[in-house]
Amino acid sequence: MNFCLVGLSHKTAPVEVREQLAIAEEMLPDALRQATSLPDIAETYILSTCNRVEILALAERDDGGIGPRLGEFLAELKHRSYAELQPYLYEYRQKDAIRHLFRVASSLDSMIIGETQILGQVKAAYNVARTAGTLGGILDEVLCRSFSVAKRVRTETAIATSAVSVSYAAVELAKKIFGSLDGKHILLIGAGKMSELAAKHLLHSGAAGIMVTNRTASRAEEMAASLQGRAIPFDRFLDYAAQCDILISSTAAQEFIISKSQAQRLLADRKNRPIFLVDIAVPRNISPEVNKLDNLFLYDIDDLEGVVQSNLKERTREAQLGEQITDAEVEKLMRRLKTLDVVPTIVDLQAHFEKIRQDEITRLESEFRKMSASQREAVEAMTKHMINKMLHSPVTELKTLAQHPDGLKLVETVRRIFNLKS
Amino acid sequence: MSHLWLVVALALYSLGLLHAVLTVVGRREKVFRIALSAISLGAVFHLVSLIEDGLSLQHFPITTLQEAASLAAFLLATAFLFVYWRYRFHSISVFVFPLVFILTMTSVLNGDTVPQEIPLLRTAWLYIHVSLIVLGYTAFFLTFIAGIMYLIQERELKSKKPRSFYHRMPPLESIDDLAYRSLAIGFPFITLGIMSGAVWASSVWGPSWPLDPKIALSFITWLIYLFLLCARWSAGWRGRKAAYFAILGFAAILVTWGTNTGLHSFVSR
Repeated sequence: MNFCLVGLSHKTAPVEVREQLAIAEEMLPDALRQATSLPDIAETYILSTCNRVEILALAERDDGGIGPRLGEFLAELKHRSYAELQPYLYEYRQKDAIRHLFRVASSLDSMIIGETQILGQVKAAYNVARTAGTLGGILDEVLCRSFSVAKRVRTETAIATSAVSVSYAAVELAKKIFGSLDGKHILLIGAGKMSELAAKHLLHSGAAGIMVTNRTASRAEEMAASLQGRAIPFDRFLDYAAQCDILISSTAAQEFIISKSQAQRLLADRKNRPIFLVDIAVPRNISPEVNKLDNLFLYDIDDLEGVVQSNLKERTREAQLGEQITDAEVEKLMRRLKTLDVVPTIVDLQAHFEKIRQDEITRLESEFRKMSASQREAVEAMTKHMINKMLHSPVTELKTLAQHPDGLKLVETVRRIFNLKS
Repeated sequence: MSHLWLVVALALYSLGLLHAVLTVVGRREKVFRIALSAISLGAVFHLVSLIEDGLSLQHFPITTLQEAASLAAFLLATAFLFVYWRYRFHSISVFVFPLVFILTMTSVLNGDTVPQEIPLLRTAWLYIHVSLIVLGYTAFFLTFIAGIMYLIQERELKSKKPRSFYHRMPPLESIDDLAYRSLAIGFPFITLGIMSGAVWASSVWGPSWPLDPKIALSFITWLIYLFLLCARWSAGWRGRKAAYFAILGFAAILVTWGTNTGLHSFVSR
């Protein structure tokens, strides 16, 4: 059982190289079948996303030539020369290949650690390979295990918990201030892609309603309709602000539209209930002085970027724990694969029957005392024959079924019903 | 008197404390489940120990400082469980569990001292007065902890450079809600506790009570909390100002308690 993984990713290759090697989804089944027909290669799986192209293969034997052969295959598939690509390629073998697969599925190797898309992509690639028939029992087992490892890493570490985009950072902060967003109202001042996105995320997270205002009244009406909110006049927005808990501002105003004294009045109107101000505009719309007021939290675009940066750092810290989990899971899987290998199972099965045969002959001899050489030979020949005939079908079935995705389960069953100790 | 169940409770509390710290350091949900089960089980054994003490003493076990400490620890553990059930705060455990542990430990270590018998003071008022005060202190301890948590989280949010605390602390509004509710629950207990003390003293000494600094200090404490409650009700005080006041109030409680370490000056006469 030899694993070999060859590929390139955002860590080793620039986008110009990655896009040359990317394999379109409709091309994948053919590519998989071609790869599996290479000498010595039994099972293959290919992952191709915008950030990586990788091929994982199971080889019967490996004299060190599998890696270059897979590299050449990837190059030739896209009519490139291997020499030109070689500097960008990485090669992992055995345990390291499995660890790499686990790290990719768990999003520990992603550009943004903890992003959730990659697991879906790995699952899709698994389905393609399964349908194309290039997965045998072992790679099937390894890939399915990578899904559960990814799930474990996601639930047991915090790599995917904190926000890593500005608009989600705003939602996260609102939750840190208000707890639940139920019953909270939003005021959106001015238009802008990022502010609209933040408002949408807030509404998705349970905010009760939204008011929209804009210097151009028709624009406000338009946005209110699309967000199912209410448009209010721009020159009087402060009168409505006291009803809102979250203000998002992104107007093109050149001077502050909310000053410290206005914010003070706002707080008094709200009986000091907390208010969260998000100022996405450049130049800023809200005087930074207001952040000194109690029960008021003002975040401008740089502050939100800062939160994103610190969350990314937090994810990197959490990733170390994810690495420990994947390492432990690799060890566990390697141990399991060792016991589920077909060849030793067949050997064990034959040894098991041979022992029964020997025991019975010994018993027979002690019962009959005298057995002539020819009699003994006949008994030996007959019992051997019986066992060979009995084992013929199970052994052939084991050999062929092990090439199928569910083969390992069969091996496991055989080991269990014959009580074969590993 | 056997302390077996109290010792079992103490062992479980220490297990809970350890895992609470590990939860906050490592932020692992699984670890917290251990802390939670340890504290819940500890509280159950603690209750058994309280009932056992009560049965063997033939009265509510609150006549000595050790017994009061034990009751306070039990109430705190129960209050924590209630707060957790209501708000799902994990991090509050690192503030509450140490005190639960210390109070239970004092009670285990000093449990065998013979209670001072002052027949003059041994009336029904004794139980009422001490129980009410302990209940009030427990609630105000939560107000105090909520105040500290609020200040930490508010600083994180205002600094705009969220560090590890930011991820570990609950939302500001929920903390403030806890502060307000615990204050509103604790205040009637303390008020009734002080009133029951006054009635008790009158029934023993008549109109002229012995002079005691503790009585004066507890009155000041009561005024601080009265002010805080009124300010929250009418002046819309909340957040940081209220948190500072909750901390001040608890400091006053500590001073009141520290005067003559728990007991009134006339008890030691």
